[in-house]
Amino acid sequence: MSKQPAPAGVAPGTPPVLQLRGIGKFFPGVIANKDVDLDVWPGEIHALLGENGAGKSTLMNVVTGIYQPEEGEIILDGYGQTFTSPQDAIRAGIGMVHQHFKLVQAFTVAENIHLGWDEAPRIASPAVMEARTREISERFGFPVRPDARVCDLSAGEQQRVEILRVLARKARLLIMDEPTAVLTPEETGELFRALRAFRAQGNAVIIISHKLDEVMEISDRVSILRGGRKVGTFSTADCNPSMLAATMVGRDIVRRNMRARPEGAAPIATDPVMQLRNVSVRDDRGVDTLRDVSLDLYGGEILGIAGVAGNGQRELTHVLTGLMARTSGEILLDGNLVDRADPALFVQAGVGHIPEDRLRSALAPSLSVTANMALREYPYPPIGTHGLYDAQAAGVLARDIADLAQVTIPDFAMPIRNLSGGNQQRLVARREIRIASRVLVAAYPARGLDIGAIATMLGYLTDLRDQGVAVVFISEDLEDLLNVSDRIGVMFHGRLMSVIDAEAADMATIGLLMGGRDATHTQPGVAQ
Amino acid sequence: MATRAFQRLPSAPAGRILVLRLAAIVLSLCIIAGVLALSGHSPVVLAELILRSTLGSRFGLEDLALFMCPLLLTGAAVTVCGTIGLWNIGAEGQFYAGAIAATGVALGLHGPAIMVLPVMTIAGILGGMAWITVPTLARAYAGVNEIITTLLLNFIASLLTYYLTTGPWRDRISGAQVSTQRLSVSIPEMWGIVHWGFPVAIVIVIGLALVLSRTRWGYEIRIGGANPEAARYAGIPVRLRIISVMLLSGGLAGLAGMFEVAGTVHRLQGGMANNFGYLGIVVAVLARGSCLNVIPAALLMALILDSGIVMQTQQLSASVVLAITGLILFMIAIGDELAHYRPVAGATPKGNA
Repeated sequence: MSKQPAPAGVAPGTPPVLQLRGIGKFFPGVIANKDVDLDVWPGEIHALLGENGAGKSTLMNVVTGIYQPEEGEIILDGYGQTFTSPQDAIRAGIGMVHQHFKLVQAFTVAENIHLGWDEAPRIASPAVMEARTREISERFGFPVRPDARVCDLSAGEQQRVEILRVLARKARLLIMDEPTAVLTPEETGELFRALRAFRAQGNAVIIISHKLDEVMEISDRVSILRGGRKVGTFSTADCNPSMLAATMVGRDIVRRNMRARPEGAAPIATDPVMQLRNVSVRDDRGVDTLRDVSLDLYGGEILGIAGVAGNGQRELTHVLTGLMARTSGEILLDGNLVDRADPALFVQAGVGHIPEDRLRSALAPSLSVTANMALREYPYPPIGTHGLYDAQAAGVLARDIADLAQVTIPDFAMPIRNLSGGNQQRLVARREIRIASRVLVAAYPARGLDIGAIATMLGYLTDLRDQGVAVVFISEDLEDLLNVSDRIGVMFHGRLMSVIDAEAADMATIGLLMGGRDATHTQPGVAQ
Repeated sequence: MATRAFQRLPSAPAGRILVLRLAAIVLSLCIIAGVLALSGHSPVVLAELILRSTLGSRFGLEDLALFMCPLLLTGAAVTVCGTIGLWNIGAEGQFYAGAIAATGVALGLHGPAIMVLPVMTIAGILGGMAWITVPTLARAYAGVNEIITTLLLNFIASLLTYYLTTGPWRDRISGAQVSTQRLSVSIPEMWGIVHWGFPVAIVIVIGLALVLSRTRWGYEIRIGGANPEAARYAGIPVRLRIISVMLLSGGLAGLAGMFEVAGTVHRLQGGMANNFGYLGIVVAVLARGSCLNVIPAALLMALILDSGIVMQTQQLSASVVLAITGLILFMIAIGDELAHYRPVAGATPKGNA
């Protein structure tokens, strides 16, 4: 329990904004946190790193008053504090922005900012609230449209509303859980600029992240949790990504050239299993979300799809799995024209789908783990024979999937929403891989996973490829894409800019394509 | 130190619900006893009377079974519909439609009971289905809220029954008001005045529970109710499932009407649905989405109804009886909600990180 000295730039005698001393939090059979000490100083951005289940979320729930710790103390500005509710923590100046936003979708931005805020005027017309919101937004440097409805906003804009909500309540310590998971690179840049400005006013930020590059970029110090205990706190300047990764995982990550085929792997098929011909999609608002996309999927090949999120990837996955009807163009499965968008047709053809928002579209949260694991295979024996549903066979299947996914489940009859997000994700991925006999469409399969789990996930994809399955791998992580893909397509504004050979591709070319510049127009030797 | 001593769980364990519901019933009975004592009635005498004339005598048990029969079916109708996430508020109207259709057959078709009864049964089911057809198609193809459409059709069915029983089908033999003549066929009795509709209703409810948990169709319904988007993703034809479930729901309520006409009342009468359709909603809520739970829930509801009748014979007005019914259900609702809370002190099992 060595007391760390105040970092440079903090006036001597200033206590840390937040001190944790020996925090312990236990759940039946699980030690979520034990002996955690943490100092967060004014004017610092403190990153909290750890694998899924390392205890980061629990620790932050303790700091924000959602949980009460069984051991240890919380010290704010040198004074011991006990939070009996999240409201206590907010009053003490601790604000948290969750990974999954807690906004009322049908309300406007101004209404969301004022919701449950004791400083909101008693009688507030929309105009008054919008004016107040505009003022707050300018004061803290987070531009928002006060009169817009939250459901019409992008993820990045919604996050700004969340942050403003917290800042308006005079937070001095801002806790952000995976803030960049849903952001485009530009939005991430804006967020980081704003966080630096917030820090410059003498406030503190705790940022939970899996992305090591971002941790290196934004944080002043890094604390690493493993198995519920703190491994250490380091000055970011003394760290490098590989050292952080090694400390976090506690073991070496095996990096392999994932493009190389092992002995006996299926070769790339000569005939495409699925083809898109000039496919376009227009949404209800009349916006072209997918424009004139043509591509061929071959068995035994991984096609990577790069691009900033929201450039048509969602529509592409939905067209490829029959969830969305095309406005024009043709889709061919095994050379046969598919005349209507029917997910059942694609399921029967052996098309697996790991969707972007797994919890919303791939799971029935209130049903049991078993029922959810049977979702893809219930019509077929052994679960479905003669129109019956064999719950016992479904249980066996669920156990198999959980074993493969390395998820321990105490009770298969409990609602699947009781599992953590990471575990739900692993289960969905494994379930889909099982049925993907021809094609797997994987949208951001690594999102929200820790480094070890990402490596496992990428291994799943290459294994499928080696079995002769055509894999579509949509990701924002260029390194992952370049590691496993054979070809990489880049999406921009609903258009598939070009499909390039991954071996020959470099980050710079892809980066240009992601920004909407056609590779053929970028000439070598141009200044810069 | 912790002022907040309780934590809310996302789902309440069944055991806690049962315990708290029993506590709620006992507590509301105490309140009722207290109020009755204050207003000059003897709760002990009343309780004894109610027990004797419901659970404590053969006649009371027979009455209970007759009350349970329609409640089982309307409760199952609402529960089945709820499994796919829809509310059939129109069991009352479908009940009337089934009763009307069955009566029409009985009035128009003359023959042995063995021939007329099956036709009446089919007519009753089809009548209920016909009554929910428009809300079903509106829901499946136009997304029209089924709560409103099914509810509004109740009044039409009820008024249609009044029209028929005072107009074209009025009793020209004995001159009974707002009623058809006594039907020539009836469901045979199995035990005193309890007709075979009662065991059939029990079998239907058990059968539905099996269908929902043990068939592909049932699985698809459950997925469709829990998350329609996931159902679509899995290739389940959600629209067709909605249509089939709603028609089944209407058919069940129609069958309840046929049983009531042919087994209990033996005539079509204005107001004969006796709120069984609406009480089916209460039964379904008490059953918490499980078909098997419909049986005890219908029993509780039948007990309450039967006790109400006994109390009316003791110069307690019908509105007092309604208030008592409301109080019991209100306390049960509170008990259900409290079952979600557990003390924070000590171990709190909740998903970690």
